[in-house]
Amino acid sequence: MNRLSSAARRAVFAPLDTEAKVEAVARRLGDAIVLGLLADGEQLPGESELAALLGISTVTLREALMALRQQGLVATRRGRGGGTFVCAPADTLHDRLSQRLNAQTAEELRDLGDYYASIAGGIAGLAAERADRQDLDAPHRSLQDFAAAEDAATRARIDGRFHVEIAAAAQSARLTREEIRLQTEIGPLLCLPFMDAEVHRIANEQHRALLEAIAAGDAVRARSLAEDHVHDQVRHLIERRMEGAKAWPVEQVR
Amino acid sequence: MAGGAGAVSVGERAVAEAAAKVSEMLERVFATAQETGEQAARLLVRARARDRRLSSRDLTELQPLLRRQLARHIGLISGTGFVASPGLLADVPAWMEWWQTRVGGGVQPMLLDLDPATSAYSDYTHWDWYALPRDTGERAVSGPYVDYLCSDEYSLTLAVPVRLDGVFSGVAAADVYLRHFEAAAGPALAGIPGPAYLVNPRGRVAASNTPAHLAGSLVRDLDAASARGELLLHPCGEIPLVLVTEP
Repeated sequence: MNRLSSAARRAVFAPLDTEAKVEAVARRLGDAIVLGLLADGEQLPGESELAALLGISTVTLREALMALRQQGLVATRRGRGGGTFVCAPADTLHDRLSQRLNAQTAEELRDLGDYYASIAGGIAGLAAERADRQDLDAPHRSLQDFAAAEDAATRARIDGRFHVEIAAAAQSARLTREEIRLQTEIGPLLCLPFMDAEVHRIANEQHRALLEAIAAGDAVRARSLAEDHVHDQVRHLIERRMEGAKAWPVEQVR
Repeated sequence: MAGGAGAVSVGERAVAEAAAKVSEMLERVFATAQETGEQAARLLVRARARDRRLSSRDLTELQPLLRRQLARHIGLISGTGFVASPGLLADVPAWMEWWQTRVGGGVQPMLLDLDPATSAYSDYTHWDWYALPRDTGERAVSGPYVDYLCSDEYSLTLAVPVRLDGVFSGVAAADVYLRHFEAAAGPALAGIPGPAYLVNPRGRVAASNTPAHLAGSLVRDLDAASARGELLLHPCGEIPLVLVTEP
């Protein structure tokens, strides 16, 4: 039997999720830059500090920074006063997010929606059984903050917080962690539909109805409202994805 | 109730032991928070006496204490520190000098984005562990709750108010993950013959010896059930958790 070369062995036994981590870190930082959470020209913490903050190795961080450099989202300057600096993208938030959305097929989005809806439905059902009045203070505040939010990025951020607070009211750490994970995946994309005032208005109504069902202890209704809400959100994304696709093949053919 | 006048049944003794165990364990956690609060107050009073505005740097001297506390209470306390009231420190809008255990062992400082311009979670003043000591002036047990701010774990947080010159200035607190609490309280609860569970003042179960009332579930109308004689409520010393048993 052939012995694997030592380099090949190292590759075989390399931590399985390194690649996924590079991608996750690049996406997290990239989203923060695109959403304006990290300001243009801002200096990122040093490599070892940043790696420690994110809980990753410096090697993983360097790969993620390289990916961001290729996307033009950071620049690295050497020497005195050097470091890694944020380069706010010249194209708009709308364009960046559309690119991100168009990188997924409608089928992938549909599947993400199905998964998210079952998580959100389960969370809502449990919250209706377990939440007491005080547990709902936080989502009630978010409901009002969401209604008052004027720009898409704030709407997406508060929308995410609202759903995390409901997950916490369901008293499940696992489901809360899963909700947070799904938020990082889908949350920034929701900025696109939230640019539309009508989408924002309907989401607000859905949040209100969901919270009422949970407060009333109506698990069946809460579950179904939460599922419908997620399916609506994802349908907005798929519609935008398909609109994007209509312009595209013509360009491709030429 | 079993047992005649003067006699103490096995069940009664087990209940008393469980209540004492919970009280002793959580008093240790409160003592830790108290110790943090006292040192934080000393550091801040000293800084203020130097006639300058308070800064987050004045709290860095807390770090050796916080690390020692985590080392001393492995398997019980998973996070510890001081949370300043917003506006107390001149250099930051809000601040948590907080250390926690790491998943693979070891400890780390918690670094949160507390800038309201960028984080939807920057305002921590609504959380029970902050609001209860602020509003009542008393120490408080908050939870069990899902701590999605700091650890993403199902937790209890024990907090004490910290005052500077008599003015509320923040809280000192310590986190106990619920699985650690259950591991510590479970054997004592298992020693009680019938169903027994610990609930917080809102009726949320924190630990239990019966699948009928699992941690996280709510027991509604506890006082009414107790008044009807259907449930017995036993205090756990001065700790605001109640041990519930059936007659």
